[in-house]
Amino acid sequence: MNKVFLRWLYQELPGLVEKDVLSQEAADKIRQFYGEVKNPGRMNVGLVIFGTIGAFLIGLGIILLFAHNWDQLPRLSRAVLSLSPLIIGQILALWVLLKKPQSGALKESTATFLSLAVGAAIALISQTYNIHGDAATFILTWMLLILPLVYIMQASLPAVIYLIGITAWAGSNWDSPARAVIFWPLAAIIVPHLIWALRQEIYALRAAIVSLVMAVCVLFAASFSLGRNWPGLWVVIFPSIFAVIYFTGNWKFNQITTNWQKPLRFIGGMGLFVLVFQFTFKYCWQYLGSYSYGINRDISFIGLLADYIITLAIIATAVLLFYDNLKRKNNLVAFFGAAPLLAIVAYFLNMQSTFLPLLIFNLYLFVLSLSRIVAGFRLNNQSLLNTGMLMLSVLIIARFFDSDISFIIKGLVFIIVGIGFLMANLVYTRRLGGVK
Amino acid sequence: MKIKLIIGLFLFVCLAQIITPLSMIANRELVLKRGTQYKFKVAPVDPYDAFRGRYVALRFEEDYCLYTNRDKLNSGQQVYALINVDERGFAKFSGLAMNRPEKGPYIKTRLNYISGDKAYLDIPIDRYYMEEGAAPRAEKIYQQHSRGGKEDAYAIIRIKDGLAVIESLYVAGDKIEDLVKKE
Repeated sequence: MNKVFLRWLYQELPGLVEKDVLSQEAADKIRQFYGEVKNPGRMNVGLVIFGTIGAFLIGLGIILLFAHNWDQLPRLSRAVLSLSPLIIGQILALWVLLKKPQSGALKESTATFLSLAVGAAIALISQTYNIHGDAATFILTWMLLILPLVYIMQASLPAVIYLIGITAWAGSNWDSPARAVIFWPLAAIIVPHLIWALRQEIYALRAAIVSLVMAVCVLFAASFSLGRNWPGLWVVIFPSIFAVIYFTGNWKFNQITTNWQKPLRFIGGMGLFVLVFQFTFKYCWQYLGSYSYGINRDISFIGLLADYIITLAIIATAVLLFYDNLKRKNNLVAFFGAAPLLAIVAYFLNMQSTFLPLLIFNLYLFVLSLSRIVAGFRLNNQSLLNTGMLMLSVLIIARFFDSDISFIIKGLVFIIVGIGFLMANLVYTRRLGGVK
Repeated sequence: MKIKLIIGLFLFVCLAQIITPLSMIANRELVLKRGTQYKFKVAPVDPYDAFRGRYVALRFEEDYCLYTNRDKLNSGQQVYALINVDERGFAKFSGLAMNRPEKGPYIKTRLNYISGDKAYLDIPIDRYYMEEGAAPRAEKIYQQHSRGGKEDAYAIIRIKDGLAVIESLYVAGDKIEDLVKKE
């Protein structure tokens, strides 16, 4: 159970016993059942953020102090001085590992400082010797040198820097697919850390930030590296990635939380909706091939092979997670994540005509929003109800703008949709009142 | 036990973090100390946009060599550019080799593209860093010279075993730093 809830529950127990709601015995049994609230090196978020910013500012200040009289110094001294922030960072991190291994905040901030210092050292030396500006090589070297810190120091901000860095690297290699696909094994190295962060404290900022950055980076990298020789396959790849993100976000924790604390569910859901909504438009299917970001250069078979394998693996994962949710009777979640399956069907049907894919996705979005509205009523969940209503109205309004219907009727549709919204919420509130 | 392992791993990572920049320093210092000096004519990339904050963007006046061999070469492929020195003392690229030459000066570089019988190279020297305060003054000097048609800028480059490191930049026979001081 979530520690925040548990702490609240334990706070309440004495009062409940006092007011005779619970017997002392029952209260003890509850404590026994849930056990102690464990606090393994709990981080103070403020301390981490300010500690890291502070460390970073100090590092920048040191570099600026040196850079002020830079040109008076001989070349070799400049080069050696460039290493000083790096050495200071290493000493600080070593001190924390030896003396304060329990402090998550200190580990996080010194590891971040050290990560930035590695980049600063390489950049300053490149400048001293006028080294050719090859940004991709610089970034990759930097990222590989800070990667072990993520695990040795159990630090998430270096993981965030690393993920952003390898994404930028994949982006600068977008025209050589054989290299850009290396993003995927590089990103996979961070997965154990992500799982560790989620296990540590599902609702904590740490897990939220790492999973958010991971999701965004994977999406960018997919556009740089996947489906390069498969025109139009993005209509399957991106729903699959969003579905995997969405399913992962719904995984194993069913307690009510805010979207901020469940970034994966939020990003996945939003992405799926936006894509499915796009797929209800004709232009999307008509010009499918021309949206492709494939390149015309000769691509080696090996480069394409990796692309194929990873693309198929992602699609297969999305389909498997869909069946898993179906099997566990998570119908609402499963249905939302059915988009990749429909996209596969639509992708092949599109070769015959654009009409069938359009029909499939218009119907799908219609049924999807209805199912959410119905489930919202049945489960007494207002947010489910309203997202369903919102999706339905967006679909209806879009279809009416598509067609050549007079302004009067369009206006009427708006009014009807608005009334529908109000009515549904009114009926819902009444029912809640009835329940009370 | 576990803490010892963590510290050991950490020290190993620190070593890698130090060795990477140190090897960058050592390689370049070695070239600057032991490498042979060559003068390469440079042209401003764009005389009005040569100084980008802290560095001068450089382009070799002749960043190509003749390539009449019809073997197919890919853009971005690694090549060795052979160097010879003309009668006026300026270095030029004289040919391409796919494998490391056994003797003679050369630069390890990448092929940019082939146009006609010329193979254009992606020369690993494209910038010369200067102090931030000196940049605007240096820009003025650079422009005055290029306006007078005296585009007599050259870079002194040291080369050893295929690695090239820029040593200094000369405009109208003077070091750019000295010209800036005189101004």
